[in-house]
Amino acid sequence: MTMVKKQNKLTVGLPLMHVESGEKRCFLPKLVGCIEKYGAQVMLEHGYGREMGLSDSDYQQAAPSLVYADNIEVYQQDVVFILRCPDEERIRSLRHGACLISMLHYATRPKRIKLLREWGLEAISLDSISDDSGRRLVENFNAVAWNGMEAAFSLMQKIYPHPGFFSPTRHPIQVTLVGAGNLGAHTVRAAVRYGNLALQEELSRSNVPGVIVSAVDADITNHTGVMRGLLAKTDILVDASSRADTTRAIIPNSWLSYLPSHAVILDLCVDPYQQIGDQFHTKGIEGIPQGNLDHYVFAPDDPVFDTIPTHIPSSEKRHTVSCYSWPGIHPLACMQVYSAQLHPVMRTLVSKDGPQGIRQDGNFFERAISRALLSNHP
Amino acid sequence: MENRISVGLPLMHAEHGEKRVFLPGFTQKLTQIGFEVFLEEGYGNPLNYYFDDYKKNNPFIHPASREEVFHKNYVLILRSPPESEYQLLGRNSCLISMLHYPTRPSRVALLNKLGMKTISLDGIVDDFNTRLVENMKAVAWNGLDAAFSQFGKNNPAMLKADNTPWNVLVIGSGVVGKHAVDAASKFGRRERNALHMEKGGAGVVVRTVGRNITSQPGQLIALLDKTDVLVDATQRYNPSKPIIRNEWLSLLPQDAIIVDLSVDPYSLDSDPPIMKGIEGIPQGNLDKYVFEKDDPQWSETIPADIPTNNRRLTVSCYSWPGIHPEKCMRHYGQQIRRLMRVLHTRNYNTLSPDGLYFERALFRARIGTFTQKQQVS
Repeated sequence: MTMVKKQNKLTVGLPLMHVESGEKRCFLPKLVGCIEKYGAQVMLEHGYGREMGLSDSDYQQAAPSLVYADNIEVYQQDVVFILRCPDEERIRSLRHGACLISMLHYATRPKRIKLLREWGLEAISLDSISDDSGRRLVENFNAVAWNGMEAAFSLMQKIYPHPGFFSPTRHPIQVTLVGAGNLGAHTVRAAVRYGNLALQEELSRSNVPGVIVSAVDADITNHTGVMRGLLAKTDILVDASSRADTTRAIIPNSWLSYLPSHAVILDLCVDPYQQIGDQFHTKGIEGIPQGNLDHYVFAPDDPVFDTIPTHIPSSEKRHTVSCYSWPGIHPLACMQVYSAQLHPVMRTLVSKDGPQGIRQDGNFFERAISRALLSNHP
Repeated sequence: MENRISVGLPLMHAEHGEKRVFLPGFTQKLTQIGFEVFLEEGYGNPLNYYFDDYKKNNPFIHPASREEVFHKNYVLILRSPPESEYQLLGRNSCLISMLHYPTRPSRVALLNKLGMKTISLDGIVDDFNTRLVENMKAVAWNGLDAAFSQFGKNNPAMLKADNTPWNVLVIGSGVVGKHAVDAASKFGRRERNALHMEKGGAGVVVRTVGRNITSQPGQLIALLDKTDVLVDATQRYNPSKPIIRNEWLSLLPQDAIIVDLSVDPYSLDSDPPIMKGIEGIPQGNLDKYVFEKDDPQWSETIPADIPTNNRRLTVSCYSWPGIHPEKCMRHYGQQIRRLMRVLHTRNYNTLSPDGLYFERALFRARIGTFTQKQQVS
């Protein structure tokens, strides 16, 4: 049998994200090398990886045939591969029929789906790649929980009242966690360790009382009396919920008055305030700001509270930590996780010559990718 | 007929309540991958499956004696066969089972002595050390369901007279602990939780503590008197000491329930000796996992030196996932199927640490890999 040489290689473009300056994440050379190794032509945007301390030669060593280009050209490739979803203008710069691979969050972004379809694009949503039992294959809930808890405890150290956070005579820290699902589970683990193993060791050596996490399902928050009692004893209030209805808050803003004044609110869900049609969607904890990698710690007098939509009650304020991209706080560690998770996914995708070659009844990773295809999304 | 790689499926022959067998759909998949499957006579019967359910006119599925099954290329059985049966394994066979190398040193020594090729299902881990064959979720949900079923006997909606929330204390925040928090927050069963909420119940508050509280008896004791359900989900660095001493159990309300998810055995002969995380509670199995305070079998699994004076109703089961055997085996079948695909093209000797994703995972589970790693460390 004669081997037929492929005429056109699949081209994969990896653009920079061009969002807040704190967003430094890029896919690592090893993953880029894998994409090339399995038969694609790789194109990186100039400066790719530099913010993470990686050089062009790091990438060239892993993928000797890669080429560099500007942002516009990178968006012209068959497949555009980028962690966070690009803005509308950049989506419109993709070629019709191209494939966008990114965290697209189909379930909560109907406008985005509409745009992708109108523009004739195929897409693979990284957050929808899941195995036969529905488990996400590309996720970093661990980093969401640990980075968020680390930020909350870091702030708590500074504002904890007498006798101080490091005092062996203080009470155990009380963390109240709303949401006991997958993210909540990681949060429990991170919380009892202060989100920071070195800090845990230090406090443990000094016999400082530890952390007690009280988890409640979002359902019981209908019971004002129960929640009031819990909130009054809470040092850190965490939203790790996964709401079916994001038009209703779980903790109304008025309830924040029950929290001690030194309490810290940790927003791990980072659901946005947004209007879709005539419906207003709100955060799980009402009246707290939305942060990003540049600015995720907010004192009660931070002017950012004034940017919360006016129809959202926000008069009750506490120190808050919120970040749209919690894993990005430690970019290298984050991308090591994603790169390893994506290695078999990209190998499968490239070796099948792109999304058209992916079969719903193919092997494990084909099936997983198939579930994340826009064309298979209802 | 083509010469296919063979897989033998022996029965477990454990306690009567252990009904788990791989399901007919799984064996059909094995033949689609390219294997020839041999079932021990009577395979599937505990779940009301019979040979015809497996056979379905498939020419690659056959009945066989236990001895024959143990001589196939791969011998796949969920729980390890008794060590006395290891010698049944053929010279060129590879045993695939939950062998728990790290906590069974004598088993590892025996396997090595016999020169057996084994792949431990619990040792198949990905690049992040995450197990690919596990059912921790079932451990937590089945255990909590068993506990709340006891409360729910006369109170299906789980309503408290004073309409206060239920208090669950989970000791341990590892993988089982994480699932336990989720399960406990929903009374161990979503339908039970839905009924409770529909009737206006006040829900569950699940408190979790890690080592920085459990290492401080005063802090831990202070939590016990408000606890309705106490859950041991620990993975202890030092299993020779309990976390909750028997005398502290007197602080729990009289009708509190203890849930043993860790199911560490009492093993006073080990060096160091192994104690349960909660002192003085019995070890259960699939035949018996609910122990009333005055249960005549309470002390059967507890060495005489262990104090047992303070008792609360306890649920403990060595194999929590086995409570719902069919569901459990559907889950395992799905997880194992993709690994068997790799084992069809590779074998114990040719698995490589540099292979693809599942091949690397399988390589880590070989007894050879485990033993080598131990020698290095």
